[in-house]
Amino acid sequence: MNRKIIGIFLALGLLVTSLSGCGGGGQSASSGAVGQGSQSAGQSGDGEEGNGKEPGTSGETKHLVWGDTTFNAENGEPDINPHRDNSGWACIRYGVGETLFRFSDSMEIEPWLAQSYENVDAQTWTITLRDDVYFTSGRHMDAAAVKECLENLTAEHERAAGDLRIAEITADGQMLTIRTSEPVPALINFLADPYGCIIDMQAGVTEEGIVSGTGPYQAVSLETDTGMELVKNENYWNGEPKIDQITVRTITDGDTLTMALQSGEIDAAYGMPYASYPLFENDNYTFTSCATSRVFFGAMNFESEITRDPAVRKAIAMGIDKESFVETLLDGNGYAAVGVYPDSFAFGGDAVTTETYDPEGAAKVLEDAGWVDSDGDGVREKDGQPLTLRWLTYPSRQEQPLLAEAAQATLGAIGFDVQINNTADHNRIRTDTGAWDIYVSAMVTAPTGDPEYFFAYHCLDSSSNNDGHYHSDRLEALAAEMAKTVDTERREALAVEMQQVILDDNAYVFCSHLRMSMISKASVTGLTAHPCDYYEITADLDLQM
Amino acid sequence: MKRYQEAAAGRRKGKKNTAKLRLAVFGALVLALLSVSIFAEWICPYDPNAQDLSNALQAPSPAHLFGTDRYGRDMLSRVIIGSRTSISSTLILVAVIAVGGTVIGVVCGYFGGILDTVIMRISDICLAFPGLVFAMAIAAVLNGGVRNAVIALAVVSWPKYSRIARSQTLAVKSTDYISAARLAGSSPAGVILRHILPNIGGQIFVTAMLDIGTMMMEIAALSFLGLGAQPPTAEWGSMMSGGRSMLQTYPWVVLSPGIAIFISVVLFNLLGDTIRDCLDPRNGNRSAG
Repeated sequence: MNRKIIGIFLALGLLVTSLSGCGGGGQSASSGAVGQGSQSAGQSGDGEEGNGKEPGTSGETKHLVWGDTTFNAENGEPDINPHRDNSGWACIRYGVGETLFRFSDSMEIEPWLAQSYENVDAQTWTITLRDDVYFTSGRHMDAAAVKECLENLTAEHERAAGDLRIAEITADGQMLTIRTSEPVPALINFLADPYGCIIDMQAGVTEEGIVSGTGPYQAVSLETDTGMELVKNENYWNGEPKIDQITVRTITDGDTLTMALQSGEIDAAYGMPYASYPLFENDNYTFTSCATSRVFFGAMNFESEITRDPAVRKAIAMGIDKESFVETLLDGNGYAAVGVYPDSFAFGGDAVTTETYDPEGAAKVLEDAGWVDSDGDGVREKDGQPLTLRWLTYPSRQEQPLLAEAAQATLGAIGFDVQINNTADHNRIRTDTGAWDIYVSAMVTAPTGDPEYFFAYHCLDSSSNNDGHYHSDRLEALAAEMAKTVDTERREALAVEMQQVILDDNAYVFCSHLRMSMISKASVTGLTAHPCDYYEITADLDLQM
Repeated sequence: MKRYQEAAAGRRKGKKNTAKLRLAVFGALVLALLSVSIFAEWICPYDPNAQDLSNALQAPSPAHLFGTDRYGRDMLSRVIIGSRTSISSTLILVAVIAVGGTVIGVVCGYFGGILDTVIMRISDICLAFPGLVFAMAIAAVLNGGVRNAVIALAVVSWPKYSRIARSQTLAVKSTDYISAARLAGSSPAGVILRHILPNIGGQIFVTAMLDIGTMMMEIAALSFLGLGAQPPTAEWGSMMSGGRSMLQTYPWVVLSPGIAIFISVVLFNLLGDTIRDCLDPRNGNRSAG
């Protein structure tokens, strides 16, 4: 009997403890976030802890918590130093940095920190800067500051140096003159790339990777793969930012991001899995979305015995059911890709042709090339080598593993043994050509609105991301011509021709162009998706009380 | 007094009969479960790996009793074929750690000396780490896969059996009949095989039976974390992981493998408990003996 009474008391105690834990969870999490941000920001907020108010509307300060699956080293964004890897994306996305030029909603180039520009001759550009811009360090943004920034950029960022090909920069007050070593027709577009965020080099880069930019928000603390604290830039040149404090949280797992938004732990999210969209399609949340040039694509490894074979590459291109992938696994949030660029570009969409899904045709291609299933195990062999395809991808783009598993089935049906390596460590592995056969990633192919970017980044001998060591004499010649061509129509024609070269070689297989969405609580306003995919937090962002 | 003794004997007999009945019931259920995993290929209504994207995420219906997953694969077929991976890997794991741990424990306990000291310190090191975390580290180094998950868990789980076997061996070794066997000229191997193992085997067996559920959960946990079964292999833990984003929207994708794990673990635990009761001399076996 005594045992029973003790047992009942213990069970009741456990129940009471559990319930009190559940009740306090949301409150402590939100106040903790406020407290942490307040400490970092050096602002008042102690009195808010434990008062039970919503995180974004507590007290008189507006605090917004932003969740993002991509702000991490896995995506080349360990911090916000734009001169490092892809960190410029984080710098510009979170409202810290701004570029000399930006893109309008229709992807037309327009001045931003610059006031105007002039193409003096094929290799000389003069750019007049705005006179009312200050870095968050307090320094005035003049031509000398921009010169220091661009010189550091080209010294530290391999891709930027290759794109810009700057020979000399001269600074005179607000007038910046850039002379390139050869004609760079897309220079203004390249200056709008996130790596072109203008930062104060005299203020330098902190150990955490924090820089002083000109944007509406200023980073005050940062931890790689964890997040960042921002406070508003009180001296912002382009209007007053409406949020006092923003916490950017890196939440790489899509399910965790989903639950964080549902529970109110975050106010807005980027990178939500498409499968979670139905949970937010109601009055409590707002979607902002638009088509971008982001594409899921696979790059073949030309050092691999398997994918070096043209027949294998062709069979892969014919063996992936892009339409079904888009309709079902992307839930319609995109469309099947043909080439590099979406159909919103004159040189995109159906301007090129490629293989279509044809499993029987793919099987015949393999058969004709000598790949046969001689032992009846379902996997083809040739000269004793099984047709094993090592598929390298990564999880932070939530639907990439789904594409891998879908392709595993369709390619498996035509005799491939697809072995998936879905890992956050992909950036290291992709540089080892002995470790993979096809590398599938997500990439914005025209972030500067210009076609040169993709080829310069991925397909040429000089490309920093040509991990599969693809080479085409024809493509190199066309790229050299594009690099010198100013005429827009000719550039577009070259873009079509260059795409067709890589598609004819089946060096890359483009699976789907994606629709990008951000989801926020209904109380969040001023958040607008942009086709370039890197304007997110702006001075317009607000949180309704 | 006599009436009291008769009542006690009656209670023991009742317990013994109940244990036998439970053994028959749970044994039959576990046997049914094992049969499903052995004959999975013949039982599956559909090809468990065949994708049909046009039929994705169908709710449970007469055509698909457990519904379909995001690739349009029949969940019932995947749960059935997944039982083979989950149960067979669990049984192999438990057999490896029980046999391996017992051999190590008996050798250490019987011979002692420097070998005993070294091996027991190694087992101390293994026991000092949180088991699953240690197994995750090993599985990550080995690159995932069911086989590697079993190896990882075997590396961290054998010390329990070696500890039990060693302590039991030390206790049995000092008994008179072991001394008599030695005096009669039995070799160490003979003593271990004929006298020690038969005496400690019962406890090891019961421990192994009770461990099946735990190990099944741990293999499922490794697979859930992506360190066990790899796609498209159907395994209950990896199936739950694959569907976890749909828990709120398409719950059957997670619940089907989850319930399969729950039922299997409960059945193996109940069978283990029952076998322990049957082998316990306080529960009627004394009268039987």
